[in-house]
Amino acid sequence: MLDTFLALLHGVPVSLAVTGLAFALGAVLGVPLVLMRRAGHWLPRLLARIYIEIARGIPPVVWLFIIFFGLGSGIVTLTPFQAASLGMGLISAAYLAEIYRGGFLTLPAGQDAAAVALGMTRLDRLRFVLAPQVLRVSIPPMATFLVSLLKDTTVASTIGVRDVMMLVTQQAQAAGGGFAPFISAAVLYILLSIPVALLARKMDARLRARTSR
Amino acid sequence: MTDPIVSLKGINIRYGTHHAVRDVSLDIAKGEVVAMVGPSGAGKSTLLRAINMLETPASGTLHVGDFTFALDRPLGQKDLLALRRSTGMVFQQFNLFPHMTVQRNISLPQMRVLGRSREEADRVTARLLERVHLADKAQAYPARLSGGQQQRIAIARALALDPQVMLFDEPTSALDPELGLEVLSVMRELAADGMTMIVVTHEIAFAAEVADRVIVMADGQIIEEGPPEQVIRNPSLPRTQKFFRAILERH
Ligand SMILES: Nc1ncnc2c1ncn2[C@@H]1O[C@H](COP(=O)(O)OP(=O)(O)OP(=O)(O)O)[C@@H](O)[C@H]1O
Ligand SMILES: [Mg+2]
Repeated sequence: MLDTFLALLHGVPVSLAVTGLAFALGAVLGVPLVLMRRAGHWLPRLLARIYIEIARGIPPVVWLFIIFFGLGSGIVTLTPFQAASLGMGLISAAYLAEIYRGGFLTLPAGQDAAAVALGMTRLDRLRFVLAPQVLRVSIPPMATFLVSLLKDTTVASTIGVRDVMMLVTQQAQAAGGGFAPFISAAVLYILLSIPVALLARKMDARLRARTSR
Repeated sequence: MTDPIVSLKGINIRYGTHHAVRDVSLDIAKGEVVAMVGPSGAGKSTLLRAINMLETPASGTLHVGDFTFALDRPLGQKDLLALRRSTGMVFQQFNLFPHMTVQRNISLPQMRVLGRSREEADRVTARLLERVHLADKAQAYPARLSGGQQQRIAIARALALDPQVMLFDEPTSALDPELGLEVLSVMRELAADGMTMIVVTHEIAFAAEVADRVIVMADGQIIEEGPPEQVIRNPSLPRTQKFFRAILERH
């Protein structure tokens, strides 16, 4: 059992890398997406909406197949690792855009009005007044999303990424049945998600202490 | 009146089918303090917010300081920013930025909007904090301050951009009476220094004492205006009499 567990550890860097890259890509792409979602004009709003619905409505495994076999066989060739990070990143952008949007909705209307009345440009209002407050309220749901993303990236093994899940499958096949690899994987994923939850709570507490009494 | 610093002509503002401000014209002289009163829903906030284009009138002309805008065609971003730079606004809910210290609340707009250096902005901020009697609060976050202190910071933040006119929308309505007094006292000093001020308020005593002119609005129109002693003590319209009587009874 311990051997199995230790063997799975070799997959951890890859699992974390896919999760981290996808999250970073999603966090960045989520910004233009939420801005389009909140735009004054209907066209960017509609496009963002369509993207978000499609990204969230199709199972991740289908996305990865489309990106890896579809995109990958055509113009560009992607390694399984690249395809998984890109695919999960594009999906994450949709979820994170919605989290940001929820954050915008919590802001009192007076915040933007005050910044407008001061003569700040749209970009400055976003950068200095709105975004920091949106980010602050978005941290807890972002952390929750990160933990679920870590679990969801197990689908990367279906296109051949050598992550924890791939090793689990190999171990299970080698052992010819038995569920030790799966129990090990369960324990491992729980252990991996604990630091994320702790870190999120700490960041949240620190920001909260600063902005309220 | 020679050379008004604020001049509204034929301003109309609609929300869908609701006609919130109806063909209002108003001239305000440099250094004048105007109190705007009237029942809830009269259109006071809407008219005030038209002066810095927080609300977009459907028609009319707006003149503030060096700017004159015809409102029946869309304004450019540049003009809008310039207009807002020359007006300062104070809100009922203060609207300080909660994630910034008091000093940054006041310095950041100076740096971003006027392009002042951090040192210069902080110097102006320190001077203004003295002026609103809160010099010791520079490093505090807004949530740690009382409502009256927050509102005085909000006044300092607006003043820091050297506006030509200050707009106040019920600046003391969210405050306990004694905290309201410290805000009113800062506003009184500001008026004495010659600032042009337009103040939407239910503080009749303040209007009577500080205002040069009282404007009564109802149903989106100015129904009566004149010096406070005349409008408050001796209003001509029955509707205005009833309004002031109701306010006096509440106090
Ligand atoms: N954003 C809006 N959308 C639709 N209607 C609005 C909006 N803002 C104001 N109104 C309506 O316009 C009218 C004037 O509102 P306004 O806020 O200017 O009144 P007010 O005189 O400031 O009242 P109060 O003393 O309650 O602040 C009201 O009937 C109000 O319901
Ligand atoms: Mg109002």
